[in-house]
Amino acid sequence: MIPHPPRAIDQGLANCHVCGKLTPVAKHHCPRCGTALHLRKPASLQRTAALLLAAGALYLPANLLPVMTLSELGDIMASTILEGMAEFWRRQAYPIAIVIFVASIMIPLIKIVALTWLCAAANGKVYSSPRILGRIYGFTELLGRWSMVDIFVVAILVALVQFGAYMTVTPGPGALAFAGVVVLTMFAAMNFDPRLLWDRLEISKAPDPPQPPADRE
Amino acid sequence: MACHFCDTLHEAVPVPEGTAARCKRCGVVLYQNRPASLVRVTAFSLTALVLMAIVNTFPFLTMEANGIRTELSLAHAARELMREGTPVIGWGVALFTIIAPLVMAGGMLYVCAPLLIGRAAPGARHVARWLGRTEPWNMIEVFLLGVLVSLMKLGKMADLYFGVGFWAFAALMLCMAGAVAGIDRNELWDRLEVAAE
Repeated sequence: MIPHPPRAIDQGLANCHVCGKLTPVAKHHCPRCGTALHLRKPASLQRTAALLLAAGALYLPANLLPVMTLSELGDIMASTILEGMAEFWRRQAYPIAIVIFVASIMIPLIKIVALTWLCAAANGKVYSSPRILGRIYGFTELLGRWSMVDIFVVAILVALVQFGAYMTVTPGPGALAFAGVVVLTMFAAMNFDPRLLWDRLEISKAPDPPQPPADRE
Repeated sequence: MACHFCDTLHEAVPVPEGTAARCKRCGVVLYQNRPASLVRVTAFSLTALVLMAIVNTFPFLTMEANGIRTELSLAHAARELMREGTPVIGWGVALFTIIAPLVMAGGMLYVCAPLLIGRAAPGARHVARWLGRTEPWNMIEVFLLGVLVSLMKLGKMADLYFGVGFWAFAALMLCMAGAVAGIDRNELWDRLEVAAE
């Protein structure tokens, strides 16, 4: 086994997460940009887990409650995200149906599952290569924002389709829950510290772990 | 310097223009040397600000059904959501499509333009810190996809016309992407440090 290169934490150096300058953590604040210094994101796993839990709780209402209501000549039709997708599928607009399915249903679910898995791995509950886990993390961070597309569709339709009694679109309760899922998973991804995954290697190799890094600030 | 992904220490060696240094342990990009970074960021963010003014003054989409016309603009969409009983989502839409891009473009211009002549604008450090925080919430490209999906949804119900605002918005998306891709974090902070002294 090749000895790995030294880490910043081993020398008491903190990497500023805003400007990237390396400073001894004893200084508390980055001399270049003034940001508070931490060896690891503070309470990273607890915050990520809490935000994930909240997102998970909202996931069902987000998909089961209608995101918008279309009233056409007195007929009221509420539609959920899944129904919106099915409608495109029926009209043979397959590419757009797939886009909605991926952005609105798959990405939030994958994000919640993946981040839960990452938290478990950083906690030492499951073992996987940090390199692969790191990739997954980068992926969830990159894709999360695209789930917002359905909220924007609701916003556009509500603003455009205002024809009084003839045809009107109003937002539904599902939209709020859905926006909540997207924003909460984005915050969860931001609070997760991928360095914890690599720290696991140190802890599992060393017979006497110096101190669990999650407890440090 | 240290890798922000796995905390491995590295010697910061200069890399040729247009290339990036990667972490030897986890393979993540450590830093990049982006050519003419400041000029690019300044130019793109200035253009983005002009386009934003156009986007928010001209109509975005016009829809016609049964002889009635409705118009869409960004602010209108957000206001309509606030009025229809979901103010949280209305504010969200305003934040993601109007406020965040404005903060990003304005902030980048405020920080980078004075740096071109070697000066640091007052409070540039704080503004630069906020840029990173605002970036994930700038969702104009996602909104554009939303417009596309909405068009498919409405296609059969009514006649739709693109306004000047729509084309300006598409150009705005490209400008914002160009400006953000131009930021060279290390160079920016090094120059800010030097300029502040």
